Amino acid sequence: MAGRRVENGVKRGRPMEIEVDGRKVTAYEGETVAASVVAAGGKTFRRTVKKGHPRGMFCGIGVCFECLMTIDGVPNTRACQTLVTPGCRVETQEGLGKLEVES
Amino acid sequence: MKEIELMILGTGSAGIAAAIEAVRAGVNVMLLDENVKPGGQIYRQFADGYRVIDEKTLGRDYPRGKRLLAEFESIRHKLDYRDQALAWGVFPDNELAFIWRGESHSVRYRKLIVAAGAYDRPVPFPGWTLPGVFTAGGAKTLVKTQRVLPGENILLAGTGPLQLALANQIVKAGGKVAAILEAGRIESWPRLLWGGWGQWQLLSDAVHYLMGIRRAGIPLWRNQIIVEARGDGQVEEAVVAQVDRSWRPKPGTERTLPVDTICIGYGFVPSTEMTRIARCEHRYEPLLGGWIPVLTEEMETSVSGIYACGDCTGIAGSMVAVEEGRIAGLAAARSLGYISPEEAERRMAPSRQRLAGLQRLRRVLDEISMPRPGLYELAKDDTIVCRCEELTLKEIREAIQNGATDMNEVKRMTRMGMGNCQGRMCGPAIQEIIAREKGVPPQDIAYLNPRPPVKPVPLALLAEHKALLDT
Repeated sequence: MAGRRVENGVKRGRPMEIEVDGRKVTAYEGETVAASVVAAGGKTFRRTVKKGHPRGMFCGIGVCFECLMTIDGVPNTRACQTLVTPGCRVETQEGLGKLEVES
Repeated sequence: MKEIELMILGTGSAGIAAAIEAVRAGVNVMLLDENVKPGGQIYRQFADGYRVIDEKTLGRDYPRGKRLLAEFESIRHKLDYRDQALAWGVFPDNELAFIWRGESHSVRYRKLIVAAGAYDRPVPFPGWTLPGVFTAGGAKTLVKTQRVLPGENILLAGTGPLQLALANQIVKAGGKVAAILEAGRIESWPRLLWGGWGQWQLLSDAVHYLMGIRRAGIPLWRNQIIVEARGDGQVEEAVVAQVDRSWRPKPGTERTLPVDTICIGYGFVPSTEMTRIARCEHRYEPLLGGWIPVLTEEMETSVSGIYACGDCTGIAGSMVAVEEGRIAGLAAARSLGYISPEEAERRMAPSRQRLAGLQRLRRVLDEISMPRPGLYELAKDDTIVCRCEELTLKEIREAIQNGATDMNEVKRMTRMGMGNCQGRMCGPAIQEIIAREKGVPPQDIAYLNPRPPVKPVPLALLAEHKALLDT
């Protein structure tokens, strides 16, 4: 989906590729993961623990904890408070998510 | 343990202003904030990577913020400022715990200034948990400092002038606003002119925003409210209705609008977690957003040595927050012996004068925008009220019918408020719901007792604080 990124007023940072649920998506330096996901047309950030309901970005300032995603293997990360990095892996979180433990 | 003369929490307008005055007076200050850059919500700055080309498209707060932030930059090297720091608890003997760069820290402060700000007032209504429903503040941050539109066809629902500002920003960014719903009575808007007489900057903002909306052809519907968001897994339509003076929907006036995004803006709730953990006395002031700390004229709370300023002491916006912050910073500097009482008073005088001027306007704005009772009656039996624990209105009501009389009892029976947001999203509504069920005013319902950590903290970092938590 095109056109979510606003073209006037500012110039964006370096473009980079990130991975959202296995799909390659373009993001820009300085964007939060939440902004990059929304810009790519993403709505559902996670599904809830008890009822499996979809939830999306809500408060945008790190208070509501609705935008929790699994980012680079770390579950329950607030997408609105996390800046993108080149190649970062972003996954829609199911319930509490799974922590990748190094063996 | 490291000793800090003055600890300031928050780098929004109030925290920055407090830091500027305290540092100028010679105080050694530590300043903590969760964000990447100073500025808070209103004066939020772009992250590294973005480059501003045309300030005019960025709204009217941008140049104002720039002046305050430039003042802050000029003293920044003289204080210990830690960004992306999460202050998570205040403990006896002036101990404050925070996490910074993946490590747990604990310091002892002599004086503390809490400038924690506020967040959008959450209002439960059917469908409000669907992806595509944003808070107005969240949408504004996304458009303003990330330069991303929250959706394709956007409905703004709520009250007050901030909705107008958001609509202008969306339109200037090339987005589409389907309509603006104003729950309040715009008939009283001319009173703004009386209240705002002399506050030309704010009045000119209002006129500027209204003209922008008219030019863009956005319908502004008065006395209307959103009653439901519908869609399969995401917002597809909004049901709106006319309301009476109590903001109760008038039966038979419902209409359906096809939209993919809904922004909810019913004002703000002060962030009082820290002042409550510190056992400061609070009072309930519906006109100022709910529970707020009781303060002296110099922004000191009921706990000696703890000050609070800005929106966390009552919603009044950034212009008031700056002046309150300056007063708090000067009061702390005086109590630490850096300036004489006379000198402190002299330096506080301009801020006091500006606050008096803003007071009248504030009163009128508050009266127009204060939530009315109908707002908290929108949730139906099966509407999720506590978003984290996925509790419905029915489940909350059952707890009350089974004997729960205050918020802490409902919490123990249902887990309400025990999820990640720690009651920030459900608290204000559930207080109203209990009050209604019991037939008493909301301030008679004891509020949730906040516990450290005030926001979720990795367990490993918490474990480093074992000694502290044992006390």
